[in-house]
Amino acid sequence: MSNSREITAVEAAAILINSVLGIGILNMPRFMVEAAGTGAPIVTIIGVLFVFISVWGITKLGMSFPTQSIVQYSERIIGKWLGRAYIFIAIIVFIFAAGLLLREFSEVLNTAVLFETPIEVSALVILFLAAYFTRDSLNTFAYIHLFYAPFIFIPGIIIAALSIPKYNYLYLQPLFRVEVNEWFTGITSMAPMFQGVFVLTIIIPFMKQPGLVMKASFWGTALAGGVYVITVISALAIAGPEELKTMMWPALEHARSVEVPGNFLERLGIVFLITWVIAVFTTIFSYYMIIVNVLRQLFRTQDHRMFSFFLFPLIFGVAMIPENVVQLYKGEMAKIVNWMGVMFLMGFPLLLVIVMKLRGLPLKGSGKKSD
Amino acid sequence: MINPRIYFFFSLFVFVPLLSGCWDSLDVEKRASVLGIAIDKVDPAEAKKEENQISHLKEEGESSNEQYIRLTAQIAVPGRVPLNALAGGGEGGAQESVWVLSVVGHSLDDAILNLQQEVADPLFFGHLRIIVFSEKVASEGVQKFNDYLRRQPQVRRTAWMAVSKENAKKYMEIAPELEPIPALYLSSMVEDAVGAGKLPYDSIGIFWIALSNLGQDGFLPYLTIGEKHNVRVEGVGYFTGDKMKGTIEPIKIGPLMTILGEEQGGYGLMTNMPGTEDKVLVRATKRRSNIKTAIKNEEKPEIRIKIRYDVRIEENESPTYSLDSPEIIRKIEDRYSEEVKDAYEQFIQDMQKEGSDIFGFGEYIRAKQPTYWEKKVKTQEQWRSIYTSQLDVQVEVQTRITQIGMKEQ
Repeated sequence: MSNSREITAVEAAAILINSVLGIGILNMPRFMVEAAGTGAPIVTIIGVLFVFISVWGITKLGMSFPTQSIVQYSERIIGKWLGRAYIFIAIIVFIFAAGLLLREFSEVLNTAVLFETPIEVSALVILFLAAYFTRDSLNTFAYIHLFYAPFIFIPGIIIAALSIPKYNYLYLQPLFRVEVNEWFTGITSMAPMFQGVFVLTIIIPFMKQPGLVMKASFWGTALAGGVYVITVISALAIAGPEELKTMMWPALEHARSVEVPGNFLERLGIVFLITWVIAVFTTIFSYYMIIVNVLRQLFRTQDHRMFSFFLFPLIFGVAMIPENVVQLYKGEMAKIVNWMGVMFLMGFPLLLVIVMKLRGLPLKGSGKKSD
Repeated sequence: MINPRIYFFFSLFVFVPLLSGCWDSLDVEKRASVLGIAIDKVDPAEAKKEENQISHLKEEGESSNEQYIRLTAQIAVPGRVPLNALAGGGEGGAQESVWVLSVVGHSLDDAILNLQQEVADPLFFGHLRIIVFSEKVASEGVQKFNDYLRRQPQVRRTAWMAVSKENAKKYMEIAPELEPIPALYLSSMVEDAVGAGKLPYDSIGIFWIALSNLGQDGFLPYLTIGEKHNVRVEGVGYFTGDKMKGTIEPIKIGPLMTILGEEQGGYGLMTNMPGTEDKVLVRATKRRSNIKTAIKNEEKPEIRIKIRYDVRIEENESPTYSLDSPEIIRKIEDRYSEEVKDAYEQFIQDMQKEGSDIFGFGEYIRAKQPTYWEKKVKTQEQWRSIYTSQLDVQVEVQTRITQIGMKEQ
């Protein structure tokens, strides 16, 4: 493969952060509190640790075949047809995940800010932007992410920091009283938000120094996970477990009630919404890029651009399936897509690593060609 | 080569999505900004006469126990809201810059739809500052209003709610001297009281959290109108669940704030000088509380509150005593501690009798004694019954006089 390997480790970490931080941040605190009450922060941390395992698996695979795409090495590990079937399922799951993400985005905009704008329009605009940029190379993809990462990351931290004086520490206690099944529901409801880690499979072959991949994926996951944990903690410490359960998007309500000391800046919610629109854009962009690139690899073509607008109606169509927000979050489709996402995008790479071990294929090999 | 014109055409198309930002554009002067809302209860017979058919059809033989509310809204008149103190005041006052409308309805949203019918521009609640319930409405429960307000994305959690002694409608019609817009006057009233340490911070968001919490009850500022259209904070109204039970006097707001953990003191207390009838006025400047929980015999929950007061003496009425020796100061400190302790204990016992845990003791038990909570409490109702019948609260007060002012002795 004639890749121009130009993605640096910092860019890789930024891509990972942006792909993971997205729409989920808005209702994640509610999911976690519904699952574990005041133990939500702990469950979130454990959930992030689980994500680390998956990230480790994906990174290991990538490092073992630093010049190959996921299509090539999964075919190598589990056989041609099984490998292709896996990739095919992964693409379908991603199309659905991207569609639901898109729908969630326009649903929030329509409910909270732009009451008159039809959801189709806000969805079309952001999807069009994402589709347009997927026509560029992966290096451009990396630049865009690196540019946006601070805009997502820093305001989130500032809003969290501003709310610290209003914490009621009673709402964070008891911390460790979490039942086993609560752990389980908590972790399964947060894992889908981390599906974006799959982006590693497409960027590793383009990294300048594949040896730094592990470091980049560790920091990317840690920072993105950290933002999730902080958001859960501050939403919970301010609203308390019972009130939080009544909010559709607790993080949004939380940002809207944050005030800068001195009363010279009001309505910080707007700042939050702007950063959140960027975050959603980068996530959809990543998902889109993953689909486009994996499709290219699957069909063994050199050019990925032809897939960009071909996918457009598919993703948009998926986005328009749910009737309302209740179906969007609690409907069958969302459940299936989330489960498939966790299994195939985060769990399956681990299985591949295990199969590699069993078949005695050399694991790791930092930078060296393994075939 | 493709014709450059085609490029031009397509680049125009690229800009189309950017224009979608105008979809929701609504000029400021085209929206009717609601600044304040007052909710009263009305007699069904009277309401029926006024009601029109907007969000539901009138049916023959409707049940007679139907509930009606009267909603009075204060709407800013665009362009006439004075932007600074100089432009404001003067002729006209309140009636000029705001428009007060009153409608009836079955529920809050029903009434708002009726109101919209009477106002040409779309109603906008993003600047809503205060919602006033009349005492009667509050005592029948506010949950039904909360549902609408929680769903409605424009209403901010930083706005305020209050309970009024008189008809709430009056609060929308008063013409205060200091502030040209009555609703802003009302909200700055309560916000300034918070700033001066005379009222705990209790915006809608905080009130809702207290209502939702399993081990806490809510409270709202209780307002009354004075002779000259001035509004007074006449204490707070305490709730049991979503229904207001009664009111406590302003003097007890201090203790309430202490227990809630708000440090800034604002209230003064007349304290007897030891052994005499003479009084000194002692004013709290800072108070700190520390709450500990315990479970006695795995049965009875117990709350121990340790309070430390920093106070200053502002006035000494006594002709005989002078504040010139450390012993006297110490005596006053002890005396003050004792009086305050009695006041706290009395206050807490009263609230326990009423079954209203406005202090949030239940939250302490839930957080610190999870085993007990899981076994014995779990629900709001259960906590309320334990709070009234079993909870034992002990108060310990320490006072430090830190200032006596510019006068020697």
